[in-house]
Amino acid sequence: MATDLAPEPAEVATGEPAGPRGRLSSRLSMFGRHRWLLLMLLPGLAYFAVFRYWPMYGLSIAFKDFVPFLGVEGSEWVGLKHFEDLFTGPDFGRLMRNTMIIALLTILIAFPAPIIVALLLNELRVRWLKRAVQSLIYIPHFLAWTIVASLTYLLFSVDYGVIAEWIHSITGGQKIDYVAQEAWFRPIIMLQTVWKTTGWGTIIYLAALAGVNPDLYEAARMDGAGRWSQFWHITLPAIRPTIVIMAILTSGNLLDQSFEQFWLLRNSLNADVADVFDTFVYYVGITQGGYSYATAVGLFKGVAGLVLIFGCNWLAKRLGQRGLF
Amino acid sequence: MNTTPRRLLAGMFALTTLFGVAACGSGDEGGQAAPDGLNLMVKLFGTAPDPNGEMHKAVEKLAGKKLNITWVPNADYASKTNVTLASDKLPDLLVVNPKDAAFTKAAEAGAFWDLTDKIKKYPNLPQDPRILANASTNGKSYGVYRIRPLLRSAIMLRKDWLEKLDLKEPETTDDLYEIAKAFTEKDPDGNGKKDTYGLILPKWPAPNFSASSPYNAIDVWFGAPNGHAVREGKLVPEFDAPEFWEAQKYIKKFIDEGLTNPDWATLDTVKWLDPFVQGKGGIIIDVNVRADELFQLFKQADASDYQTKVAMAGNLKRPDGQKFSLPFTGYNDVVAISKQTVRTEEQLDEVLAMLDRLASKEGATLLNNGIEGKNFKVDGEYAVKINDQDPAVQTINNDVEKAFIQLGTSASVGFSSDKAYAWKRATPEEQAIEEEKKTLSELDLQTAQHDPTLPYISKTAVDKGATLNPIPTDARIKFLAGELTEEQFKAEIKRWYDSGGTQVMAELLELINKG
Repeated sequence: MATDLAPEPAEVATGEPAGPRGRLSSRLSMFGRHRWLLLMLLPGLAYFAVFRYWPMYGLSIAFKDFVPFLGVEGSEWVGLKHFEDLFTGPDFGRLMRNTMIIALLTILIAFPAPIIVALLLNELRVRWLKRAVQSLIYIPHFLAWTIVASLTYLLFSVDYGVIAEWIHSITGGQKIDYVAQEAWFRPIIMLQTVWKTTGWGTIIYLAALAGVNPDLYEAARMDGAGRWSQFWHITLPAIRPTIVIMAILTSGNLLDQSFEQFWLLRNSLNADVADVFDTFVYYVGITQGGYSYATAVGLFKGVAGLVLIFGCNWLAKRLGQRGLF
Repeated sequence: MNTTPRRLLAGMFALTTLFGVAACGSGDEGGQAAPDGLNLMVKLFGTAPDPNGEMHKAVEKLAGKKLNITWVPNADYASKTNVTLASDKLPDLLVVNPKDAAFTKAAEAGAFWDLTDKIKKYPNLPQDPRILANASTNGKSYGVYRIRPLLRSAIMLRKDWLEKLDLKEPETTDDLYEIAKAFTEKDPDGNGKKDTYGLILPKWPAPNFSASSPYNAIDVWFGAPNGHAVREGKLVPEFDAPEFWEAQKYIKKFIDEGLTNPDWATLDTVKWLDPFVQGKGGIIIDVNVRADELFQLFKQADASDYQTKVAMAGNLKRPDGQKFSLPFTGYNDVVAISKQTVRTEEQLDEVLAMLDRLASKEGATLLNNGIEGKNFKVDGEYAVKINDQDPAVQTINNDVEKAFIQLGTSASVGFSSDKAYAWKRATPEEQAIEEEKKTLSELDLQTAQHDPTLPYISKTAVDKGATLNPIPTDARIKFLAGELTEEQFKAEIKRWYDSGGTQVMAELLELINKG
């Protein structure tokens, strides 16, 4: 793209002859020169072919009325029936709204959280404290969602929740059932997400921060820059490319909510805000045997995710940043 | 384009394809039946039996075949069934819910044998006409049903609490309310604190409205249809009858006045019995065999006086004295036979003969009681456990109670019918509850409200059930929690009708009228 003026060191490493001068013979010799590299590429290609592309064949059941015994081949084509059902049915609006709101909250809260924590950690000058905090906040990443959900119930249940009890003793009044009320569903989900993912997410930013040339800070100090100015004019610009890349990568997963997290917290009372595409696909496809409909929903989600990632990439480039591709 | 890179690309593609085929091939073994054996998929409630264990060998000996049993934990069974159906490796014998949408579709496409005319030829296989119909798919039996009592609903109460407060077992819905109120307010455990409640309600797992939950039982007591009823030529669902609203007001009163557990909307059924045993709550509305489980839990906590803690009552009369009872379907799952591997009529007859042997008195006793002389002895009409401190015998007991009983068709958990032996209870109090169970269920069966739609499956319900079922179910819970008004609840019911409910009712009514 014309706006993409930043130097592109990564491009050089791929070994492709730049520009139109690369002719057939040079391409040929390229294959010869890199035959071992290409051979090493094979397992990766095989992985994608077998586990990523081949299963896409199964997506065809989104356009069929899949009957288990008849199989993918034998089932009858029904065209866009399942998509019509989805878009005209009662579920779509709710699923879309819930998924988008959670996605938005993720961008606003869960995405910046590790950046902020990493910047704060970076400012810590006491080495052992920095190390200790870092190690401690990694721990939740290694806990399964089922454990996080159990902890949530233990802490917030209206009958025996420790924190629920504690809040009640301070505020008084009616006891609040945090795990059952619609209004509390999203806050609790975000609390879980931030608690579980923030620590782990700081790793990549801390790595980027470690790569900043100390000379820059020294020069800035010589020019009389305070800590705030150093942060604003050196630290932040230094990790900006990382933030942008992470943002684009995140955008591709925005519609992927961690299924267990939602499924385990869902009940009849918060169902209206708790149902997202991922839980719905599981519920319809696996528990109810509505294979085709579930596949159609999943396919829609996949396409929407693809649009999002291209959109963010385009936006990043428009804003003068380096895109992902 | 030069041909060489293309050829290289083609080569790479061929290689990857080869990898793909190899990867698929390696896991592909179970497609064919073992030549002299059968592959089965059966429910499991504990740890899986050892295929070389005494119990497994005994069952194989009676079956006359080698049995490769895939034991699947009950909690995952429905998902596992749907995944198995979608794969191309069906077991020869599948224990399955005959109303499962994917199963119905597969069966109607020809994946399983239609046993409608076959079952009659095997005298030991259960074949009560009403239950055969209930377990059928629009009149066709795609499996041998596994018997269950037709009436299992009951109320379990803390007997010691009733005695302390000088109360009797309830007979009417008003009695139950009074008991719940007393359990909540009059300190039944005598610890001087107001820390108990009456009724324990859990989060019911099924998204289907009619799911034999405590809520369904109360609906039926007030005279609402059990699932569905034909009234004045129209098919009325449970949640659209005037009596239903009486029942909701009744349940809501419990919740609003704090006579239930505060976490009633989220309490998992796995932990449902805990408050009863821990002395937090005193009433459970569920299947009558839950009494046995409660006795066991009390016994584990304190064996000295556990037998004095559980009382039982049957279905309740509504305020005007009329009584309606909640029956069950009379079966739990069917054993379906795959056409994929059992290909010919001769092979089918062989498999059915085996199931018939397992359903005989000898087979039912083996699957329900165990090995006579090893883990039980016969005392009159009862079976009595022997040597149950011996680890080897405990293994047999575990294999029977948590696993093999799920393969039985002619007798089952808590229902020995006339094929297996009922267990003699350890104490007279437990034996008395056992007798009461029988008396109450026979009595309540006379007022049972049967669901006329059970034998039938509506096509729209198969297609849209996943979307339709949760609408009224979730709306009821929200109404009870005070998040929906009666008008908003009625609007949700209208949404159910408009999203396909009307069509489901019309299709079912047509099937009923056709008979």
